[in-house]
Amino acid sequence: MGDAVVGVVANPLSGRDIRRLVTQASVFPTAEKANMIQRMLTAFGAVGVHRVLLSTDLGGISAAVFRAIGRRRGQEPKYPRWPEVEFLDGQPIRQTAQDTVDAVRRMVTAGARVIVCLGGDGTARVAASAAGDVPLLALSTGTNNVFPAVREATVAGLAAGLIATGAVPAQGADGVTARAKLLEVRVGDRVETALVDVATSTERHVGARAIWDPATVTQLFCAFAEPDAIGLSAIAGQLLPVARHDPHGVTMRLAPDAARQVLAPIAPGLVVPVGVSSIERLEAGPVHHVDARAGVIAVDGERELAFGPGEHPAVRLRADGPWCVDVAAVLAASARLGLLERVRNFNPQGG
Amino acid sequence: MTDTVERKSLTREDLLDVYRTMRTIREFEERVHAEFATGDIPGFVHLYAGEEASAAGVCSNLDDRDTIASTHRGHGHCIARGVDVAEMMAEIYGRRTGSCHGKGGSMHIADLSKGMLGANGIVGGGPPLICGTALAAKIKGTGGVSVAFFGDGGSNQGTTLESLNLASVWNLPAVFVAENNGYAETTSSTWSVASDNIADRAAGFGMPGVIVDGFDFFAAHEAAREAIARAREGGGPTLIEMKFTRYFGHFEGDQQTYRAGEVSHARAELDCLKRFADRVTETGELSRADLDAVDAEVAALIEAAVEAAKAAPLPTEADLLTDVYVRY
Repeated sequence: MGDAVVGVVANPLSGRDIRRLVTQASVFPTAEKANMIQRMLTAFGAVGVHRVLLSTDLGGISAAVFRAIGRRRGQEPKYPRWPEVEFLDGQPIRQTAQDTVDAVRRMVTAGARVIVCLGGDGTARVAASAAGDVPLLALSTGTNNVFPAVREATVAGLAAGLIATGAVPAQGADGVTARAKLLEVRVGDRVETALVDVATSTERHVGARAIWDPATVTQLFCAFAEPDAIGLSAIAGQLLPVARHDPHGVTMRLAPDAARQVLAPIAPGLVVPVGVSSIERLEAGPVHHVDARAGVIAVDGERELAFGPGEHPAVRLRADGPWCVDVAAVLAASARLGLLERVRNFNPQGG
Repeated sequence: MTDTVERKSLTREDLLDVYRTMRTIREFEERVHAEFATGDIPGFVHLYAGEEASAAGVCSNLDDRDTIASTHRGHGHCIARGVDVAEMMAEIYGRRTGSCHGKGGSMHIADLSKGMLGANGIVGGGPPLICGTALAAKIKGTGGVSVAFFGDGGSNQGTTLESLNLASVWNLPAVFVAENNGYAETTSSTWSVASDNIADRAAGFGMPGVIVDGFDFFAAHEAAREAIARAREGGGPTLIEMKFTRYFGHFEGDQQTYRAGEVSHARAELDCLKRFADRVTETGELSRADLDAVDAEVAALIEAAVEAAKAAPLPTEADLLTDVYVRY
């Protein structure tokens, strides 16, 4: 048994895009992201995590945690115990998704047993692409949050900590981690992945990235589609729901004037009728070429790849997505095993 | 009730105009950089190179009803708003033919006929001005929108914070564009901006705040389009934070000992003109020949502006008493 190490990566830019402007989406200030990490550190400390590897950023999150650690120095007995925190600095910060990739790779190399990721669907997607077989616990601090859980960080921290220390075995029979599905998109030699959905849009430019006008979406592929989802997968979620653990996905063609319309919350603050011209199961394995000759591919709600005639983007559902921590299952296992029970020490002789 | 503003997509002509604007700003600033080094230009100049997508992305959504207020780094805003380039250059050279008859210089270029309230030597000076013009537009019902540009330094000024509050309380047709180029003079914004992101402050003023990749014209244009349409529709103010890097020092002559490496990286990897040109040629909306033609046209424009400015007369002693509010 090596050290119980947890990686924590936080995206300073999540929850900031144009959807604040066009759909009253929620704001996740830097201070709250930093507070979430501090609450997690307390949970990690409580269950015996030795070391935490924390991503660094220019957005102020890691700096706020650094200052908080400084304030505790010399006065530790006054505070709950925190594990040792190692800041993953010394690498250029580009203020792009590459920062998340770089941080997660370093965590994997350094032996993290679980990686907690703070962001929206976009951040989880990027973190998953670099996490390999290390389980991921995605917490929502973004806009469209289908993949990451909206959950109290303290509780998530307990779950991540119990996995990292091995108190709850990650690969045990309790189903505390499960492999997610993955959508892979290829446009020429460019490859992107999505954890929730891939959409083709008639927009010409990546622009402000977020997809918030359903009339521009012509085709949609979903790894899963829950009836209570937010975002594009909510469209399928009301017509042909697919659970996260189902082996298949769902694909549909959209047209504003289609006879079949479904009212869907395609973004926070945006409930609109969407015309659906066809919908069917999406099996894992086969490659599907998109219909459009030109446009933009959006992954997990963000325009990412522009394509032109002759490029024929191809989409494939894969079963080998990231391993994900099920917070509820971890804490249920903990309850079963009595992991958080303690016997209070007392000395009957007195003194 | 207000009408919903139609969101038009960019036509070929629009894209050519945008490219011309961004290229004109770049050439203007590169040339002023070179000319300033010769010692012929009086006063201070603060160059906008690197930030073109912000001015072009915002101003390409404005029309004749609208006004903007700028900063000490104002050349880009002036050009994007259509201020005459030759008059600007003459003003920077302190010549009588300049937009302010040579008496203002770089930091006071203004042209009210273009809805350009002026560059501004006061950090955080622009936001209060646009609260006034936005209120006027609201009362008169012109449908006009007012935009204030300010920097990360300006974002910490009381004037800016008060304006954000006032604009929200009065539900003004205003857009606040924080151009965060990373440094207030020599002070890093990662240190000096307490909320880290300027856009985060919007929530405290009850308005939307968004962060935009300021090197990407299409991202800047789209965010500005929505904010301006929202303001026009009576939806109230918005705060947009553009994140990017300026290519030159705070002022010409700044030794820039406080930063290293980021400019060459930005020029090579992130440059707004390169990215724009790559995008529109990939989609086939414009050809390289179209862009080359604009480049040649802009080069000639700037050359002529510099020649004319150098040849123009300086203000005379008698000019000291013209265009003043009070004559003693």
